[in-house]
Amino acid sequence: MTVVAKSWNRLTLPGKIVFTVVPLLIVLTIVAVSAIVLLGPTVIDILAANIEIVRFVVAVTIILLITVPTAFLIIYMEMKVIALMNLRIGPDRVGPFGSALSVVHGLKVLMKEDFTPTGADPLVFTWAPVVVYLSAVMTLLVIPFAPGLFGQDLNLGLLYFFAIGGLSVVGLLMAGWSSYNKYSLLGGLRSAAQVVSYEIPLTLSVVGIILLAGSLSLNKIVENQSGWFTNWYVFQQPLGALIFFIAATAEANRTPFDLTEADSEIVAGFATEYSGMRFGFFFFAEYVNVFIISALTVTLFFGGWNAPFAWPWDVALSLDPGSYGIGMLMLFAIGPVVLTLLFAAPIWLASARVKWWQALIGGFVLANLFLITLGLAGAYIGLAWVAGLLWFLLKTYTFVFTFVWMRGTLPRVRIDQLMDFAWKWMLPASVVNVFVTAAAIVVVSTWRPV
Amino acid sequence: MTTTARPSADDPRVTLDRDLGVFEPVPPYPPRTEREAEFYTLGDGQMFINMGPQHPSTHGVLRVVLKLEGEKVVDLDPVLGYLHRGVEKLCENADYHHSIAYTDPLEYVSSLFNEWAPVMAFEKLLDVQVPRRAEYIRVLSSELNRVASHALFLGWMALDLGGLTPILWSFIERDEIVEMLASLTGQRMLFNYFRIGGVNGDLNHDFMSRLGDWMSRATEQIEAGNTLLNENEIFVRRMRDLGKIDTATALRMVMTGPNLRATGVPFDIRRAHPYSVFPELEFDIPTRSEGDCLARYLLRMDEIKQSLRIIDQCLHNMPDGPVMAKLPRLLRPRPGRAYAAVEGPRGQYATYAISDGTDQPFRMRIHDPSFIHLQSVGVMMPGHLIADTMAIMASLDPIMGGVDK
Repeated sequence: MTVVAKSWNRLTLPGKIVFTVVPLLIVLTIVAVSAIVLLGPTVIDILAANIEIVRFVVAVTIILLITVPTAFLIIYMEMKVIALMNLRIGPDRVGPFGSALSVVHGLKVLMKEDFTPTGADPLVFTWAPVVVYLSAVMTLLVIPFAPGLFGQDLNLGLLYFFAIGGLSVVGLLMAGWSSYNKYSLLGGLRSAAQVVSYEIPLTLSVVGIILLAGSLSLNKIVENQSGWFTNWYVFQQPLGALIFFIAATAEANRTPFDLTEADSEIVAGFATEYSGMRFGFFFFAEYVNVFIISALTVTLFFGGWNAPFAWPWDVALSLDPGSYGIGMLMLFAIGPVVLTLLFAAPIWLASARVKWWQALIGGFVLANLFLITLGLAGAYIGLAWVAGLLWFLLKTYTFVFTFVWMRGTLPRVRIDQLMDFAWKWMLPASVVNVFVTAAAIVVVSTWRPV
Repeated sequence: MTTTARPSADDPRVTLDRDLGVFEPVPPYPPRTEREAEFYTLGDGQMFINMGPQHPSTHGVLRVVLKLEGEKVVDLDPVLGYLHRGVEKLCENADYHHSIAYTDPLEYVSSLFNEWAPVMAFEKLLDVQVPRRAEYIRVLSSELNRVASHALFLGWMALDLGGLTPILWSFIERDEIVEMLASLTGQRMLFNYFRIGGVNGDLNHDFMSRLGDWMSRATEQIEAGNTLLNENEIFVRRMRDLGKIDTATALRMVMTGPNLRATGVPFDIRRAHPYSVFPELEFDIPTRSEGDCLARYLLRMDEIKQSLRIIDQCLHNMPDGPVMAKLPRLLRPRPGRAYAAVEGPRGQYATYAISDGTDQPFRMRIHDPSFIHLQSVGVMMPGHLIADTMAIMASLDPIMGGVDK
């Protein structure tokens, strides 16, 4: 025993780690392999029998995971874009162009003290951020990111979206009430008034689309907008799109409707007393909300994952490596060399000062870039979901940028102006929009030549 | 590992707090006046909210106890004195030269005007003739300071309404001016540049080249910053008819400067009681008749244009000569009293000095426009919403350093 202890004490720290971790890994590997061998087929059978549940669990996990980088990206984008609008430099220390700053912010928020003020209702105070965050994340479940890439294709997807999205106000009210702070209370009540008022024009503004699409399923709505960009619903529902965009801004508590967290009036409102990761949840939820309302605007009015143009001819990439036989092998063997030389030749010829090895390196880099471009183009053409995701994210981040732009430009409206705008302008306009759309549908379907 | 027990809602300390109402801003003494007793009695559905002294937009350490009905302000009680340093008393214990430095940090965004009023009062006491070049330099540098102060006001106004960008744009403007003045005076904010009988140091090359560079693009730059807000529907709708004050009330409240001129009174000390070389300079007194926040905001932008006109004329008419009158090192004015007022970016900056024949002022009274203007919030704020309190406050442009002295 003493021998073991002595030799153990002689080991340096890395040695101790190696002698602990390696045996542990060996044991774990043996256990895992035997478990897979013994139980694998049964587990696979069970999973295969419940493929819908597996799909759901995987989708939810992925959605929960992607919210964090999405929020990080949008936070970084907001910091940088607003900085440039303010003629500042913005974040530029952590990572290239400061791009890791939001990750550092996340870590900071995790390590901060989680403080509950005296007099706060601890249970409600703790669960409020969770409600806000979950209500934001759960709406992502029905958004079609690309053909075949969605959490769940509910036939009541739009209704689900508004139902769950409306829950966030409960969380904000909980936060405002439980903080035992008058500024928070004012913030919570403001958010209740605001979200409930704007929920009505928001929901009414999409009724036109529901009439046109004949479905509440977001997948169906996106499929209806395929083809050229003139098929997008924004051209049939311009008023609806405008109302939806404004009301969605108010729903997500973004500038100019960020009264709930007005820092110059009620000192961050419902979030005044929050610190640490609980505040982080509010913060994440806000930026996930920005992504979600952008995504929904794109899905409903701007064609979702559809490209703005239709390919004029059918494109299909049907590569069957087996049919090429020995030719394929030759291609793999000789292709890179030929490509490198092809790209190196003009570099070498361009200037007498370029050495042959420099030209070769340049050629190699260019050849690789060419192959990567080729691969991406192939993926774009061959895989529908790659193209769909690309277009979806491109359009969505255009709208995210618009929200950030608005934040950098506009001052805040006042609570009575906000209410006036919702009830006196948005609500009548959205009702008119519904009636005009319905009348147009009836007229067109009646008079359409058979 | 130790954990702190979290007090539950029925913790005796919490219930005690709730029963006693410690979270209500009740003064720790029995009400001293009828007004105080009335204010600290809550009606049905009313609550107090304590805005400041630590609040993002009370321009320093102002504390306003608001009596709210929902979001509507019913009544308010501004509480001052969080930044009181006793400047007047300090000045009485310093000699005439030294007391100028104490007046600098009063309104720290327009320090030159704080200096100018006592300097002028002391010059009247001493009967000093200031060289013309020194007067021109005073006008030039103080008008620059006025532009810097107004630029900051425009940014703050937007920030208190929730706009993020204008404050940074106006800080660019202000920073250029402040750097310019730093090369002239040696300091960015608290210049301590005016002396009894002149100024401390002549114009230098660095200052002149910076000024010429800035003047060539100042108009465009300021216009660019302003178009961000002037045509913004949200901004204009929030500012119009907000914090409205009529001429009679403004005069009763002894308002001066842009806040008075926004109600239609063309009162400007530079024209009404001319001092320095202002009679020789051409400029207009912009007025507006509405008397609301928007008028006060737009008026300050017009003033910037007039200031640029004055700076331009100063540069063209700058005479040669000394910048300092010949004076003994220790000043002992004859016993007497003197009053001097200058037109600053916020209104009338005045000093009333009494000399008893020693080398220290016997009494020095500083009249500060911020303090005078702040009393009108009691007239303006009731009836408006909680969001508007900040806008009204910002439109009066008070600097708490000057209010609390």
